[in-house]
Amino acid sequence: MPLTIYGSPFSTCTRLVVLICKEKQIPFNFVLVDITKGEQKAPEYVDKQPFNKVPYIVDDDGFALYESRAIARYLIKKYANQGTPDLIPSDLQAEALFEQGASIESFNFNPPASGIALEKIVKPLLALRTDEKTLERRLVELNEKLDVYDVILGKQKYLAGNKLTLADLQHLPHGTLLFTNGCGDLFTSRPNVARWWNELISRPAWQEVTTYFNPVA
Amino acid sequence: MVVKIYGHAIAPTVRLVAGVCKEKEIPYELVPIAVYKGEHKTPAFKQFQPFGQVPYIDDDGFILYESRAICRYLAKKYEEQGTLNLVPKDAKGEALFEQAVSIEASNFHPFVSGLAFEKIIKKHQGMETDETKVKVLLDNLNAKLSAYEVILGKQPYLAGEYITLADLFHLPYGTVAIEELGCDVLQDRPNVARWWKEISSRPAWQAVKNGA
Repeated sequence: MPLTIYGSPFSTCTRLVVLICKEKQIPFNFVLVDITKGEQKAPEYVDKQPFNKVPYIVDDDGFALYESRAIARYLIKKYANQGTPDLIPSDLQAEALFEQGASIESFNFNPPASGIALEKIVKPLLALRTDEKTLERRLVELNEKLDVYDVILGKQKYLAGNKLTLADLQHLPHGTLLFTNGCGDLFTSRPNVARWWNELISRPAWQEVTTYFNPVA
Repeated sequence: MVVKIYGHAIAPTVRLVAGVCKEKEIPYELVPIAVYKGEHKTPAFKQFQPFGQVPYIDDDGFILYESRAICRYLAKKYEEQGTLNLVPKDAKGEALFEQAVSIEASNFHPFVSGLAFEKIIKKHQGMETDETKVKVLLDNLNAKLSAYEVILGKQPYLAGEYITLADLFHLPYGTVAIEELGCDVLQDRPNVARWWKEISSRPAWQAVKNGA
C-alpha cells in the first residue's frame, strides 16, 4: 500500500504535502477528511491527530505522521535521490540558512497570511463576521514582512540562498490563497518578491497540485 | 572565537539560544542590544537581521538569525558534546522530532507569545491589555494543552523517549506564560505538569532563565 494522505482540498497544509509528493515523484493515495462536516473532530480521527487538524499521513510501512512541514521534511529526506534534488541542504551552513528560511516562513509569513485567510475566507464560510480591525492589522503586518522579503530577495534568488529549498515551497499554499483573496498586489508590487513568486507558481509540481484538486473535465 | 549572541538578555528568544548553548556546553558572549531604545530597528542592526528582531548570532563570521534555526545549527555543529541527541538522526526519530517542533510552532507558540504581547509588551508600550483577546488566547492554549496531555501520557517527551530541541523550544514563552504571568494551565493536566517540571528544572535552563 503506498503512502496515504488523509486531508482536505480546502486545507493549505494538505496542499503542501501533495506538492512535495509531486516534486519528489512519490505516488500516494488520498483519503478525504470532510472538514466541512467536522470529520476531523471525530474520536477515531483525533486518535491519529490529537489536535484535530488535517493532514496526516500513513506511510507504506504503517508509520504515521502529522504536521505538514514535518511530513514534507520526512518525505524529502526519505526520497532524497528522486525528483527535485536538494530541497533540504546537508552542508552545515547551507542547512542552517535553510532552517532560517523555513523559520522565516513559519513565524513571519504564515501568521499574518493565515490570519488574512481566516478573516476573508474561513469566517464567512462559517457565517462569522470578519473582524475588520484584525484584518487591517494583519495586512499591515504582512506588508512590513514582505518589504523585508524584497530586500532579501534582491540579494539572492531564494529565501535560503541561491538554490530553491523547501523554505520557498512552504509559501505556495497560503501565498496562492492571498491572490484568491484579492491581495495579490502584496507580491506583485514588490519587484524581487514578484520575480520569486512567479518562479514558484510556474513550477510544474505546483500546477499539478492545482489540477489535482480542481480537475478539468 | 566565541559565538556572539546579539540581543536583549531577557528576550525569550535570546534566553532560548543561551539555554541551548548551556545544554551543549558552548561558550558564548552576549552583545547587548538596547531593544527598549529601538536599537533592533536601526539600519546597523537590520544589516544583519533584516526583520529587526532579536537575536542573531555571529559564529566566526557566519551570521544566522531565527532562534530555532540558531538552536538547530549549534546543536548540529556541537553534536558530540553536552546533552546528546537534541536533534535525532534516524529517519523516524527525526520525523517525530520535526512533528514535535511543528506542534510547538503552531499549537503552543502563537498563544503563549500572544499572551506575552497582551500582558507585558503592550504595557511597556503604554497600551491597554485587551482582556477579550487574553481570554481567547487562554481558551486556545488550554485546548491545545489538553492534546499535549494525551501525547505526554504515552511518552515522556514531545518527540518520544528522549528530550529534544522540540521540548526546549517551549521553555522561554512557557516560562513567561506559566511562571511570570501565572497562567494556570497545569492544573488537571498531570502529564503536562510532569513534563513541564522536568524540562524547566534542567540546570541549563535555570542558568539563563532570568537573563542570558
